Amino acid sequence: MQGYKLLTLVLVSLIIMFADNRFGYLQQARYYASYTVMPIHWLLEVPQSLSEQLSDVFRSREELFRENQALQETLLMQQYQLQKIDHLTAENQRLSGLLNASAVVDDIVVRAQLVSEASDPFRKQVLVNKGTAHGVYEGQAVLDADGLFGQVISVEPYYSWVQLITDSQHSTPIQVNRNGIRAVVTGTLGSRHIMMMINMTDTSDIVVGDVLVTSGLGQRFPAGYRVGVITSIVHDPGQPFVTVTVEPTAQLNTSRDLLLVF
Amino acid sequence: MSSFGFRHSQGLWVIIASFIVAAFLLVMPLPDAMVYYRPEWIVLFLIYWIMALPHRVGLLSAWVLGLFVDVLEDSLLGLNALGLALVAYLALSVYRRLRMFTMLQQASTVFILIGLHQLVSFWILTVSEQNTLSNLMFLVPAFSSALIWPLVFYGLRYLRRSLHVV
Repeated sequence: MQGYKLLTLVLVSLIIMFADNRFGYLQQARYYASYTVMPIHWLLEVPQSLSEQLSDVFRSREELFRENQALQETLLMQQYQLQKIDHLTAENQRLSGLLNASAVVDDIVVRAQLVSEASDPFRKQVLVNKGTAHGVYEGQAVLDADGLFGQVISVEPYYSWVQLITDSQHSTPIQVNRNGIRAVVTGTLGSRHIMMMINMTDTSDIVVGDVLVTSGLGQRFPAGYRVGVITSIVHDPGQPFVTVTVEPTAQLNTSRDLLLVF
Repeated sequence: MSSFGFRHSQGLWVIIASFIVAAFLLVMPLPDAMVYYRPEWIVLFLIYWIMALPHRVGLLSAWVLGLFVDVLEDSLLGLNALGLALVAYLALSVYRRLRMFTMLQQASTVFILIGLHQLVSFWILTVSEQNTLSNLMFLVPAFSSALIWPLVFYGLRYLRRSLHVV
């Protein structure tokens, strides 16, 4: 009796897994079922928001004053840099206008906060506190202050899962900032945050220290965001391609404040 | 089922609440050094409740619980459901022996059950090309689960007895 029950359940599980993995039929079901796990996700967020509120309350005037001063200084510096960028953007738009290229549009970003990481340490995936209620959709690009962070792979009403660019299941279409060579970087197995630039021939013009930015090909990530820096290039005569290691510029281990690109 | 039918079941909320706690422990952020040793809380709690109340917690409840875990962890839908149903089946067939066992024997049985659960997940993830591992690290949680089993056992037994869950 129990044996037949087990057999039925195993078969049903296998069918569900096949449907979920190969065809994505169950997206809608998963979305509605995620209402049941919302309280647990919310509980995960409590200590973080509580500590933030408390530290806001117990802040001395002295400390606020100092922080304000430091922020004023960085603001001044960044405004100075922005002046140049404004000029460069205008010039760039004029030039692309001359070339009849499509106009460069500024992206709208929305701030999201990291709530938790996947419980499996080898799955590089994090939970953020914005969901469909805030307009988040699957495939959306996620940035942090220093570069490309990942993309939204599954949405819930108030939370969503973000796959990091270093996950072994993830590939990012990129361009070398120095000379415009297009390539693809993929994540790696294991828990370290490094990526590999794949299918690069021995004669490709790449050097250690090259900055890689998103190319915008594949229509997932907007073009021009920093992805990583080449840290090592190994030419092995026995291999058809070069082994190129890339370190992400985004702080994948430490960033809590993320930006969703619309 | 029939032999227990005349008894009045009570305290369902304790079982449900314990699984909610287990779910929270499962996704709770841990320090970097400890993430590899996170015990499989849900499986541990399931084994305890099956051992204590086999007439109330069975295959179907384990399967539904597994679907809940899949949604919670955003894993392949049905992955944990299959694993937990398998563990529940094995636990149901040995629960009388488990009750007689010493703590060491119980812990080794738990190690085998959870190791099996991990192995099945590993296989399925490999077949569905979602595997993130290439070594035996996936068995580490089985060790830590077996180590923490006495705590789970005595803790949940204390809860069950003081709250009269039958």
